[in-house]
Amino acid sequence: MHQTIAQKQLSLFDILGPVMIGPSSSHTAGVARIGYLARRLFGTQPDSVTVQFYGSLAATWLGHGSGDAIVAGLMGIPPEDEQLRDGRKLLEKALAEGSGFHITIEAMPKLPTGWHPNTVSLIISGSHKQLRLRASSIGGGSIQIDEINGYMVALSGMLDALLVVHRDEIGVIAIVSHILAANHINIAATSSHRKEKGDEALLVIEVDNPIPQSIVDQISNLPPVFSVIHLPSLEQL
Amino acid sequence: MKYQFSTLIELQDLLQAEKLSFDTYLLQREAFLSDKSLASVTEELDRRIAVTRQALIRGLSEPQHSRSGLTQGAAYAFQHAQNKLIAEPLFNRTIAYALAINEVNACGGKIVAFPTAGSSGIVPGVIWAYWESRVLGSQNFASIPAPLGPPYDLRLRSAFLMASLVGMVIAQGATLAGAEGGCQAECGSAGAMAAASLAFLEGAPFEICIDAAALSLKNSLGLACDPVAGLVEVPCVKRNALLAVQALASVELALAGIRSVIPFEEVVQAMKQIGDSMPASIKESAEGGLAATPTGLHYKKLIMGGE
Repeated sequence: MHQTIAQKQLSLFDILGPVMIGPSSSHTAGVARIGYLARRLFGTQPDSVTVQFYGSLAATWLGHGSGDAIVAGLMGIPPEDEQLRDGRKLLEKALAEGSGFHITIEAMPKLPTGWHPNTVSLIISGSHKQLRLRASSIGGGSIQIDEINGYMVALSGMLDALLVVHRDEIGVIAIVSHILAANHINIAATSSHRKEKGDEALLVIEVDNPIPQSIVDQISNLPPVFSVIHLPSLEQL
Repeated sequence: MKYQFSTLIELQDLLQAEKLSFDTYLLQREAFLSDKSLASVTEELDRRIAVTRQALIRGLSEPQHSRSGLTQGAAYAFQHAQNKLIAEPLFNRTIAYALAINEVNACGGKIVAFPTAGSSGIVPGVIWAYWESRVLGSQNFASIPAPLGPPYDLRLRSAFLMASLVGMVIAQGATLAGAEGGCQAECGSAGAMAAASLAFLEGAPFEICIDAAALSLKNSLGLACDPVAGLVEVPCVKRNALLAVQALASVELALAGIRSVIPFEEVVQAMKQIGDSMPASIKESAEGGLAATPTGLHYKKLIMGGE
Protein backbone atom coordinates (compact mmCIF):
# COMPACT_ATOMS: atom_id res chain seq x y z
CA MET A 1 0.00 0.00 0.00
CA HIS A 2 1.43 3.37 -1.02
CA GLN A 3 0.12 6.52 0.51
CA THR A 4 0.85 10.18 0.17
CA ILE A 5 -1.35 12.16 2.48
CA ALA A 6 -1.71 15.80 1.53
CA GLN A 7 -0.27 17.71 4.48
CA LYS A 8 -2.16 20.87 5.16
CA GLN A 9 -0.51 23.65 7.13
CA LEU A 10 -2.29 24.46 10.34
CA SER A 11 -5.04 26.97 9.61
CA LEU A 12 -6.38 29.67 11.89
CA PHE A 13 -9.75 27.95 11.60
CA ASP A 14 -8.32 24.62 12.75
CA ILE A 15 -7.93 26.33 16.14
CA LEU A 16 -10.94 28.67 15.99
CA GLY A 17 -13.26 25.95 14.85
CA PRO A 18 -15.01 24.05 13.63
CA VAL A 19 -18.38 25.63 14.21
CA MET A 20 -20.25 22.62 15.47
CA ILE A 21 -23.16 21.16 17.35
CA GLY A 22 -22.11 19.93 20.80
CA PRO A 23 -21.16 18.15 22.89
CA SER A 24 -18.01 16.49 21.56
CA SER A 25 -15.82 17.48 18.63
CA SER A 26 -14.69 13.91 18.06
CA HIS A 27 -17.86 12.03 19.04
CA THR A 28 -20.45 14.42 17.61
CA ALA A 29 -18.95 16.86 15.07
CA GLY A 30 -16.50 14.39 13.51
CA VAL A 31 -19.16 11.68 13.28
CA ALA A 32 -21.65 14.11 11.69
CA ARG A 33 -19.01 14.95 9.09
CA ILE A 34 -18.40 11.27 8.38
CA GLY A 35 -22.14 10.76 7.80
CA TYR A 36 -22.41 13.83 5.60
CA LEU A 37 -19.37 12.88 3.58
CA ALA A 38 -20.61 9.29 3.18
CA ARG A 39 -23.89 10.60 1.81
CA ARG A 40 -22.03 12.81 -0.67
CA LEU A 41 -19.89 9.86 -1.72
CA PHE A 42 -22.95 7.66 -2.20
CA GLY A 43 -24.61 10.42 -4.19
CA THR A 44 -28.25 9.46 -3.79
CA GLN A 45 -30.76 8.57 -1.10
CA PRO A 46 -29.87 5.09 0.22
CA ASP A 47 -32.39 2.33 1.00
CA SER A 48 -30.61 1.11 4.08
CA VAL A 49 -27.53 1.89 6.14
CA THR A 50 -25.69 -0.15 8.75
CA VAL A 51 -23.56 1.88 11.15
CA GLN A 52 -20.96 0.22 13.35
CA PHE A 53 -19.29 2.20 16.12
CA TYR A 54 -15.91 1.05 17.41
CA GLY A 55 -13.72 1.89 20.40
CA SER A 56 -14.58 4.97 22.41
CA LEU A 57 -17.56 5.61 20.11
CA ALA A 58 -18.99 2.20 20.92
CA ALA A 59 -18.82 3.06 24.62
CA THR A 60 -20.23 6.59 24.56
CA TRP A 61 -22.23 7.03 21.33
CA LEU A 62 -25.59 7.33 23.10
CA GLY A 63 -24.56 10.08 25.49
CA HIS A 64 -22.71 12.05 22.84
CA GLY A 65 -25.53 11.91 20.33
CA SER A 66 -23.23 10.17 17.83
CA GLY A 67 -26.17 8.13 16.47
CA ASP A 68 -28.20 11.25 15.78
CA ALA A 69 -25.14 12.93 14.27
CA ILE A 70 -24.39 10.14 11.81
CA VAL A 71 -28.04 9.74 10.82
CA ALA A 72 -28.36 13.49 10.25
CA GLY A 73 -25.22 13.48 8.12
CA LEU A 74 -26.54 10.53 6.08
CA MET A 75 -29.77 12.47 5.54
CA GLY A 76 -27.70 15.28 4.06
CA ILE A 77 -28.07 17.63 7.03
CA PRO A 78 -24.87 19.71 7.15
CA PRO A 79 -22.62 19.25 10.21
CA GLU A 80 -23.29 22.80 11.46
CA ASP A 81 -27.10 22.44 11.44
CA GLU A 82 -28.76 22.30 14.88
CA GLN A 83 -31.26 19.71 13.58
CA LEU A 84 -28.33 17.32 13.98
CA ARG A 85 -29.26 16.50 17.57
CA ASP A 86 -32.62 15.09 16.44
CA GLY A 87 -31.22 12.99 13.60
CA ARG A 88 -32.92 9.72 14.50
CA LYS A 89 -36.25 11.41 15.19
CA LEU A 90 -36.10 13.21 11.85
CA LEU A 91 -35.36 9.94 10.09
CA GLU A 92 -38.35 8.26 11.73
CA LYS A 93 -40.52 11.12 10.55
CA ALA A 94 -39.10 10.87 7.03
CA LEU A 95 -39.76 7.10 7.03
CA ALA A 96 -43.35 7.66 8.13
CA GLU A 97 -43.73 10.05 5.21
CA GLY A 98 -42.40 7.51 2.75
CA SER A 99 -38.85 8.78 2.32
CA GLY A 100 -35.77 8.12 4.44
CA PHE A 101 -33.88 4.86 4.82
CA HIS A 102 -33.63 1.96 7.23
CA ILE A 103 -30.89 2.31 9.78
CA THR A 104 -29.14 -0.23 11.98
CA ILE A 105 -26.71 1.05 14.60
CA GLU A 106 -24.39 -1.39 16.32
CA ALA A 107 -21.85 -0.80 19.08
CA MET A 108 -19.02 -3.21 18.35
CA PRO A 109 -17.42 -4.89 21.38
CA LYS A 110 -13.86 -5.08 20.05
CA LEU A 111 -11.66 -2.50 18.32
CA PRO A 112 -9.54 -4.27 15.66
CA THR A 113 -5.78 -3.80 16.08
CA GLY A 114 -4.44 -0.81 14.19
CA TRP A 115 -7.80 0.95 13.94
CA HIS A 116 -8.26 4.43 15.37
CA PRO A 117 -10.03 4.47 18.80
CA ASN A 118 -12.93 6.46 17.25
CA THR A 119 -13.86 4.44 14.18
CA VAL A 120 -17.13 4.21 12.26
CA SER A 121 -17.84 1.59 9.67
CA LEU A 122 -20.72 2.10 7.23
CA ILE A 123 -22.50 -0.13 4.74
CA ILE A 124 -24.75 2.00 2.56
CA SER A 125 -27.08 0.20 0.19
CA GLY A 126 -29.24 1.51 -2.62
CA SER A 127 -31.17 -0.09 -5.45
CA HIS A 128 -28.15 -0.95 -7.61
CA LYS A 129 -25.15 -0.13 -5.52
CA GLN A 130 -23.44 -0.54 -2.21
CA LEU A 131 -20.77 1.59 -0.55
CA ARG A 132 -18.62 0.24 2.24
CA LEU A 133 -16.76 2.89 4.13
CA ARG A 134 -14.54 2.99 7.20
CA ALA A 135 -13.62 6.34 8.67
CA SER A 136 -12.23 7.71 11.91
CA SER A 137 -12.85 10.84 13.92
CA ILE A 138 -9.32 11.89 14.69
CA GLY A 139 -9.88 14.86 17.03
CA GLY A 140 -11.18 18.41 16.99
CA GLY A 141 -13.86 17.46 14.46
CA SER A 142 -11.28 16.35 11.89
CA ILE A 143 -11.86 13.06 10.15
CA GLN A 144 -10.07 10.57 7.99
CA ILE A 145 -11.49 8.07 5.54
CA ASP A 146 -9.53 4.89 6.04
CA GLU A 147 -11.17 2.43 3.67
CA ILE A 148 -13.54 2.60 0.70
CA ASN A 149 -15.00 -0.60 -0.77
CA GLY A 150 -12.08 -2.63 0.47
CA TYR A 151 -9.40 -0.19 -0.66
CA MET A 152 -7.17 1.30 2.05
CA VAL A 153 -7.00 5.05 1.65
CA ALA A 154 -6.19 8.06 3.83
CA LEU A 155 -8.39 11.00 2.90
CA SER A 156 -9.10 14.03 5.08
CA GLY A 157 -12.14 15.20 3.16
CA MET A 158 -10.70 18.71 3.22
CA LEU A 159 -9.62 18.59 -0.42
CA ASP A 160 -11.61 17.71 -3.52
CA ALA A 161 -10.81 14.13 -4.36
CA LEU A 162 -11.33 11.77 -7.27
CA LEU A 163 -11.39 8.03 -6.77
CA VAL A 164 -10.80 6.35 -10.09
CA VAL A 165 -11.39 2.61 -10.22
CA HIS A 166 -9.60 1.29 -13.30
CA ARG A 167 -7.97 -1.71 -14.96
CA ASP A 168 -4.35 -1.93 -13.78
CA GLU A 169 -2.55 -1.03 -17.02
CA ILE A 170 0.16 1.33 -18.22
CA GLY A 171 -0.63 5.03 -18.61
CA VAL A 172 -3.88 5.50 -16.69
CA ILE A 173 -2.30 7.77 -14.08
CA ALA A 174 -0.59 9.78 -16.83
CA ILE A 175 -3.81 10.31 -18.80
CA VAL A 176 -5.84 11.31 -15.75
CA SER A 177 -3.21 13.76 -14.52
CA HIS A 178 -2.95 15.17 -18.06
CA ILE A 179 -6.69 15.86 -18.12
CA LEU A 180 -6.46 17.63 -14.76
CA ALA A 181 -3.43 19.67 -15.84
CA ALA A 182 -5.11 20.71 -19.09
CA ASN A 183 -7.96 22.07 -16.99
CA HIS A 184 -5.63 23.97 -14.64
CA ILE A 185 -6.39 21.77 -11.66
CA ASN A 186 -3.44 21.41 -9.33
CA ILE A 187 -2.84 17.96 -7.81
CA ALA A 188 -2.07 18.05 -4.07
CA ALA A 189 -1.53 14.33 -3.59
CA THR A 190 -1.99 11.03 -5.37
CA SER A 191 -1.94 7.46 -4.27
CA SER A 192 -2.50 4.26 -6.11
CA HIS A 193 -3.83 1.01 -4.73
CA ARG A 194 -4.34 -2.28 -6.50
CA LYS A 195 -5.55 -5.66 -5.53
CA GLU A 196 -3.24 -7.62 -7.84
CA LYS A 197 -1.07 -6.85 -10.90
CA GLY A 198 -3.26 -6.46 -13.97
CA ASP A 199 -6.42 -6.55 -11.86
CA GLU A 200 -8.65 -3.72 -10.70
CA ALA A 201 -6.85 -0.72 -9.19
CA LEU A 202 -7.83 2.47 -7.43
CA LEU A 203 -6.23 5.81 -8.13
CA VAL A 204 -6.87 8.48 -5.52
CA ILE A 205 -6.16 12.09 -6.45
CA GLU A 206 -6.61 15.06 -4.12
CA VAL A 207 -6.65 18.46 -5.78
CA ASP A 208 -6.63 22.11 -4.72
CA ASN A 209 -9.52 23.33 -6.90
CA PRO A 210 -13.10 22.10 -7.20
CA ILE A 211 -13.48 19.53 -9.98
CA PRO A 212 -16.32 20.27 -12.43
CA GLN A 213 -18.69 17.43 -13.41
CA SER A 214 -17.55 17.64 -17.05
CA ILE A 215 -14.07 16.52 -16.03
CA VAL A 216 -15.45 13.70 -13.89
CA ASP A 217 -17.41 12.55 -16.97
CA GLN A 218 -14.38 12.84 -19.23
CA ILE A 219 -12.36 10.61 -16.92
CA SER A 220 -15.26 8.15 -16.49
CA ASN A 221 -15.34 7.70 -20.29
CA LEU A 222 -11.71 6.61 -20.56
CA PRO A 223 -11.64 2.95 -21.77
CA PRO A 224 -9.65 1.48 -18.84
CA VAL A 225 -11.78 3.30 -16.26
CA PHE A 226 -14.57 1.31 -14.59
CA SER A 227 -15.99 4.03 -12.38
CA VAL A 228 -15.19 7.39 -10.85
CA ILE A 229 -16.27 8.68 -7.46
CA HIS A 230 -16.00 12.40 -6.93
CA LEU A 231 -15.67 13.54 -3.33
CA PRO A 232 -16.26 17.29 -3.04
CA SER A 233 -14.29 18.85 -0.21
CA LEU A 234 -15.94 19.30 3.18
CA GLU A 235 -14.44 22.77 3.28
CA GLN A 236 -16.97 23.96 0.72
CA LEU A 237 -19.87 23.53 3.12
CA MET B 1 6.52 36.23 2.91
CA LYS B 2 7.10 33.16 5.05
CA TYR B 3 3.93 31.49 6.26
CA GLN B 4 5.35 28.66 8.30
CA PHE B 5 6.39 28.99 11.91
CA SER B 6 6.46 26.48 14.71
CA THR B 7 7.63 28.57 17.66
CA LEU B 8 6.76 32.03 18.90
CA ILE B 9 10.41 33.06 18.69
CA GLU B 10 10.37 32.19 14.99
CA LEU B 11 7.16 34.12 14.58
CA GLN B 12 8.46 37.19 16.42
CA ASP B 13 11.54 37.34 14.17
CA LEU B 14 9.29 36.99 11.18
CA LEU B 15 6.96 39.80 12.32
CA GLN B 16 9.91 42.06 12.98
CA ALA B 17 11.45 41.39 9.58
CA GLU B 18 8.14 42.01 7.80
CA LYS B 19 7.15 44.90 10.09
CA LEU B 20 3.72 43.33 10.63
CA SER B 21 1.48 43.01 13.65
CA PHE B 22 0.47 39.45 14.64
CA ASP B 23 -3.18 39.97 13.69
CA THR B 24 -2.50 41.28 10.19
CA TYR B 25 0.04 38.51 9.67
CA LEU B 26 -2.40 35.77 10.74
CA LEU B 27 -5.14 37.03 8.43
CA GLN B 28 -2.75 37.40 5.48
CA ARG B 29 -1.33 33.94 6.14
CA GLU B 30 -4.83 32.46 6.19
CA ALA B 31 -5.77 34.22 2.96
CA PHE B 32 -2.63 32.85 1.31
CA LEU B 33 -3.03 29.27 2.58
CA SER B 34 -6.73 29.03 1.75
CA ASP B 35 -6.39 30.91 -1.53
CA LYS B 36 -9.12 33.32 -0.47
CA SER B 37 -9.39 37.08 -0.23
CA LEU B 38 -8.56 38.90 2.98
CA ALA B 39 -12.16 40.09 3.08
CA SER B 40 -13.57 36.57 2.97
CA VAL B 41 -11.17 35.36 5.69
CA THR B 42 -12.26 38.27 7.90
CA GLU B 43 -15.88 37.48 7.17
CA GLU B 44 -15.34 33.85 8.22
CA LEU B 45 -13.58 35.05 11.39
CA ASP B 46 -16.58 37.25 12.18
CA ARG B 47 -19.01 34.42 11.48
CA ARG B 48 -17.24 32.27 14.05
CA ILE B 49 -17.10 35.08 16.62
CA ALA B 50 -20.85 35.55 16.09
CA VAL B 51 -21.48 31.87 16.91
CA THR B 52 -19.75 32.33 20.28
CA ARG B 53 -21.90 35.40 21.01
CA GLN B 54 -25.10 33.50 20.15
CA ALA B 55 -24.07 30.57 22.33
CA LEU B 56 -23.37 32.97 25.20
CA ILE B 57 -26.80 34.57 24.93
CA ARG B 58 -28.53 31.20 24.69
CA GLY B 59 -26.69 29.84 27.72
CA LEU B 60 -27.75 32.77 29.90
CA SER B 61 -31.32 33.14 28.62
CA GLU B 62 -32.57 29.98 30.23
CA PRO B 63 -31.15 27.15 32.35
CA GLN B 64 -29.39 24.60 30.14
CA HIS B 65 -30.27 20.98 30.88
CA SER B 66 -28.42 18.18 29.12
CA ARG B 67 -29.85 14.80 28.14
CA SER B 68 -27.72 13.03 30.72
CA GLY B 69 -28.89 15.28 33.55
CA LEU B 70 -25.30 16.09 34.52
CA THR B 71 -25.65 19.68 33.31
CA GLN B 72 -28.37 21.61 35.08
CA GLY B 73 -28.20 25.31 34.33
CA ALA B 74 -25.15 26.34 36.37
CA ALA B 75 -24.63 29.55 34.37
CA TYR B 76 -28.21 30.66 34.90
CA ALA B 77 -28.09 29.80 38.60
CA PHE B 78 -24.79 31.62 39.06
CA GLN B 79 -25.97 34.74 37.30
CA HIS B 80 -29.05 34.91 39.50
CA ALA B 81 -27.36 34.08 42.80
CA GLN B 82 -27.43 37.04 45.17
CA ASN B 83 -24.56 36.66 47.62
CA LYS B 84 -21.26 37.18 45.85
CA LEU B 85 -17.97 37.31 47.72
CA ILE B 86 -16.40 39.45 45.00
CA ALA B 87 -18.86 41.95 43.54
CA GLU B 88 -16.82 42.77 40.45
CA PRO B 89 -18.78 42.48 37.17
CA LEU B 90 -15.75 41.40 35.10
CA PHE B 91 -14.95 38.61 37.55
CA ASN B 92 -18.51 37.35 37.82
CA ARG B 93 -19.20 37.66 34.10
CA THR B 94 -16.06 35.63 33.39
CA ILE B 95 -17.47 32.77 35.47
CA ALA B 96 -21.02 33.04 34.12
CA TYR B 97 -20.03 33.41 30.46
CA ALA B 98 -17.57 30.52 30.39
CA LEU B 99 -20.19 28.30 32.07
CA ALA B 100 -22.95 29.47 29.72
CA ILE B 101 -21.11 28.70 26.49
CA ASN B 102 -19.87 25.33 27.66
CA GLU B 103 -23.31 24.35 28.92
CA VAL B 104 -24.73 25.11 25.49
CA ASN B 105 -22.15 22.69 24.13
CA ALA B 106 -23.09 20.02 26.68
CA CYS B 107 -26.71 20.40 25.60
CA GLY B 108 -26.05 19.88 21.89
CA GLY B 109 -26.18 23.55 20.92
CA LYS B 110 -24.12 25.35 18.31
CA ILE B 111 -20.66 26.42 19.44
CA VAL B 112 -17.16 26.96 18.09
CA ALA B 113 -14.64 24.35 19.19
CA PHE B 114 -11.99 26.78 20.45
CA PRO B 115 -9.73 24.93 20.56
CA THR B 116 -12.07 21.99 21.37
CA ALA B 117 -15.75 21.57 22.22
CA GLY B 118 -15.04 20.59 25.82
CA SER B 119 -13.03 23.76 26.39
CA SER B 120 -15.18 26.01 24.18
CA GLY B 121 -16.38 28.33 26.98
CA ILE B 122 -13.03 29.59 28.25
CA VAL B 123 -11.69 31.92 25.56
CA PRO B 124 -14.97 33.47 24.36
CA GLY B 125 -16.16 33.60 27.99
CA VAL B 126 -13.15 35.68 29.02
CA ILE B 127 -13.20 37.89 25.92
CA TRP B 128 -16.95 38.63 26.03
CA ALA B 129 -16.86 39.25 29.81
CA TYR B 130 -14.15 41.84 29.23
CA TRP B 131 -15.95 43.35 26.25
CA GLU B 132 -19.23 43.64 28.13
CA SER B 133 -17.67 45.04 31.29
CA ARG B 134 -14.88 47.27 29.99
CA VAL B 135 -15.80 48.20 26.43
CA LEU B 136 -19.61 48.22 26.32
CA GLY B 137 -19.67 49.16 30.00
CA SER B 138 -22.83 47.23 30.86
CA GLN B 139 -23.54 47.76 34.55
CA ASN B 140 -26.04 45.10 35.50
CA PHE B 141 -24.20 41.80 35.89
CA ALA B 142 -27.37 39.72 35.84
CA SER B 143 -28.61 41.08 32.49
CA ILE B 144 -28.48 38.94 29.36
CA PRO B 145 -25.94 40.28 26.85
CA ALA B 146 -27.57 41.98 23.87
CA PRO B 147 -27.24 40.44 20.39
CA LEU B 148 -24.12 41.75 18.71
CA GLY B 149 -23.48 40.66 15.14
CA PRO B 150 -20.72 41.28 12.61
CA PRO B 151 -18.86 43.22 11.43
CA TYR B 152 -16.85 43.25 14.63
CA ASP B 153 -14.47 45.76 16.08
CA LEU B 154 -10.85 45.28 15.02
CA ARG B 155 -9.73 44.98 18.63
CA LEU B 156 -12.25 42.23 19.32
CA ARG B 157 -11.13 40.31 16.22
CA SER B 158 -7.51 40.68 17.31
CA ALA B 159 -8.33 39.26 20.74
CA PHE B 160 -9.71 36.11 19.05
CA LEU B 161 -6.64 36.04 16.78
CA MET B 162 -4.25 36.32 19.73
CA ALA B 163 -5.90 33.31 21.37
CA SER B 164 -5.77 31.38 18.08
CA LEU B 165 -2.09 32.13 17.70
CA VAL B 166 -1.31 30.68 21.13
CA GLY B 167 -3.44 27.65 20.24
CA MET B 168 -1.53 27.15 16.99
CA VAL B 169 1.80 27.16 18.78
CA ILE B 170 0.54 24.61 21.32
CA ALA B 171 -0.93 22.44 18.54
CA GLN B 172 2.43 22.39 16.78
CA GLY B 173 4.57 21.82 19.86
CA ALA B 174 2.28 19.49 21.79
CA THR B 175 -1.41 18.69 21.17
CA LEU B 176 -4.89 20.10 21.75
CA ALA B 177 -6.59 16.70 22.02
CA GLY B 178 -7.58 15.29 25.41
CA ALA B 179 -7.17 11.76 24.07
CA GLU B 180 -3.50 12.51 23.38
CA GLY B 181 -2.52 14.91 26.15
CA GLY B 182 -5.22 14.90 28.82
CA CYS B 183 -7.18 17.97 29.84
CA GLN B 184 -4.05 20.12 30.07
CA ALA B 185 -4.21 19.98 26.26
CA GLU B 186 -7.84 21.12 26.09
CA CYS B 187 -8.89 23.36 29.01
CA GLY B 188 -5.23 24.00 29.88
CA SER B 189 -4.55 25.30 26.38
CA ALA B 190 -7.76 27.31 26.35
CA GLY B 191 -6.78 28.95 29.64
CA ALA B 192 -3.43 29.99 28.17
CA MET B 193 -5.11 31.25 25.00
CA ALA B 194 -7.62 33.25 27.05
CA ALA B 195 -4.88 34.78 29.22
CA ALA B 196 -3.00 36.00 26.14
CA SER B 197 -6.09 37.55 24.58
CA LEU B 198 -7.14 39.25 27.82
CA ALA B 199 -3.66 40.73 28.27
CA PHE B 200 -3.90 41.94 24.67
CA LEU B 201 -7.27 43.59 25.36
CA GLU B 202 -5.67 45.36 28.32
CA GLY B 203 -3.07 46.76 25.94
CA ALA B 204 -0.12 44.64 27.09
CA PRO B 205 2.80 44.23 24.67
CA PHE B 206 3.13 40.91 22.80
CA GLU B 207 5.75 39.49 25.20
CA ILE B 208 3.55 40.13 28.22
CA CYS B 209 0.57 38.46 26.50
CA ILE B 210 2.69 35.36 25.92
CA ASP B 211 3.95 35.48 29.48
CA ALA B 212 0.37 35.53 30.75
CA ALA B 213 -0.24 32.44 28.59
CA ALA B 214 2.84 30.73 30.03
CA LEU B 215 1.76 31.47 33.62
CA SER B 216 -1.66 29.97 33.01
CA LEU B 217 -0.42 26.93 31.08
CA LYS B 218 2.15 26.08 33.76
CA ASN B 219 -0.63 25.86 36.29
CA SER B 220 -2.60 23.40 34.13
CA LEU B 221 0.18 20.91 33.47
CA GLY B 222 -0.77 17.38 34.32
CA LEU B 223 -4.50 18.00 34.24
CA ALA B 224 -6.34 14.71 33.70
CA CYS B 225 -9.12 14.18 31.17
CA ASP B 226 -11.44 11.90 33.14
CA PRO B 227 -15.02 12.78 32.19
CA VAL B 228 -17.84 11.00 34.01
CA ALA B 229 -19.57 8.47 31.74
CA GLY B 230 -17.28 9.70 28.95
CA LEU B 231 -19.46 12.77 28.47
CA VAL B 232 -18.11 16.28 28.00
CA GLU B 233 -19.87 17.56 31.14
CA VAL B 234 -18.27 16.59 34.48
CA PRO B 235 -15.77 18.06 35.24
CA CYS B 236 -15.59 19.95 31.93
CA VAL B 237 -18.36 22.56 32.32
CA LYS B 238 -17.25 23.92 35.68
CA ARG B 239 -13.61 23.59 34.73
CA ASN B 240 -14.32 26.05 31.92
CA ALA B 241 -15.36 28.63 34.50
CA LEU B 242 -12.44 27.90 36.82
CA LEU B 243 -9.83 28.07 34.07
CA ALA B 244 -11.35 31.31 32.82
CA VAL B 245 -10.76 32.73 36.31
CA GLN B 246 -7.21 31.35 36.24
CA ALA B 247 -6.69 33.30 33.02
CA LEU B 248 -7.79 36.48 34.83
CA ALA B 249 -5.32 35.86 37.64
CA SER B 250 -2.52 35.05 35.19
CA VAL B 251 -3.08 38.37 33.44
CA GLU B 252 -3.02 40.23 36.76
CA LEU B 253 0.37 38.65 37.51
CA ALA B 254 1.76 39.41 34.06
CA LEU B 255 0.51 43.00 34.12
CA ALA B 256 2.22 43.47 37.49
CA GLY B 257 5.49 42.67 35.72
CA ILE B 258 5.81 39.20 37.20
CA ARG B 259 7.41 37.05 34.53
CA SER B 260 7.16 33.33 33.99
CA VAL B 261 10.56 31.88 34.83
CA ILE B 262 10.03 29.10 32.29
CA PRO B 263 9.40 30.59 28.83
CA PHE B 264 6.20 29.70 27.00
CA GLU B 265 7.90 27.44 24.41
CA GLU B 266 9.44 25.33 27.14
CA VAL B 267 6.13 25.07 29.00
CA VAL B 268 4.64 23.67 25.78
CA GLN B 269 7.49 21.13 25.58
CA ALA B 270 6.83 20.16 29.20
CA MET B 271 3.14 19.76 28.40
CA LYS B 272 3.97 17.40 25.53
CA GLN B 273 6.29 15.34 27.69
CA ILE B 274 3.73 15.10 30.51
CA GLY B 275 0.94 14.23 28.06
CA ASP B 276 3.02 11.44 26.54
CA SER B 277 3.72 9.93 29.94
CA MET B 278 0.12 10.11 31.22
CA PRO B 279 -1.64 6.74 31.49
CA ALA B 280 -4.42 6.14 28.94
CA SER B 281 -6.95 5.83 31.77
CA ILE B 282 -6.92 9.61 32.24
CA LYS B 283 -6.78 10.58 28.58
CA GLU B 284 -10.45 10.78 27.58
CA SER B 285 -11.05 7.06 27.93
CA ALA B 286 -13.38 7.55 30.92
CA GLU B 287 -11.67 4.65 32.70
CA GLY B 288 -9.86 6.44 35.49
CA GLY B 289 -9.90 9.48 37.75
CA LEU B 290 -13.28 11.10 38.38
CA ALA B 291 -14.96 8.73 35.92
CA ALA B 292 -13.91 5.77 38.08
CA THR B 293 -15.08 7.18 41.43
CA PRO B 294 -18.12 5.46 43.02
CA THR B 295 -20.27 8.47 42.15
CA GLY B 296 -18.82 8.67 38.64
CA LEU B 297 -19.61 4.99 38.08
CA HIS B 298 -23.08 5.44 39.56
CA TYR B 299 -23.88 8.15 37.01
CA LYS B 300 -22.37 6.11 34.22
CA LYS B 301 -24.72 3.24 35.03
CA LEU B 302 -27.66 5.60 35.40
CA ILE B 303 -27.02 7.34 32.07
CA MET B 304 -25.92 4.43 29.94
CA GLY B 305 -28.53 2.06 31.30
CA GLY B 306 -31.23 4.65 30.94
CA GLU B 307 -31.41 5.10 27.22
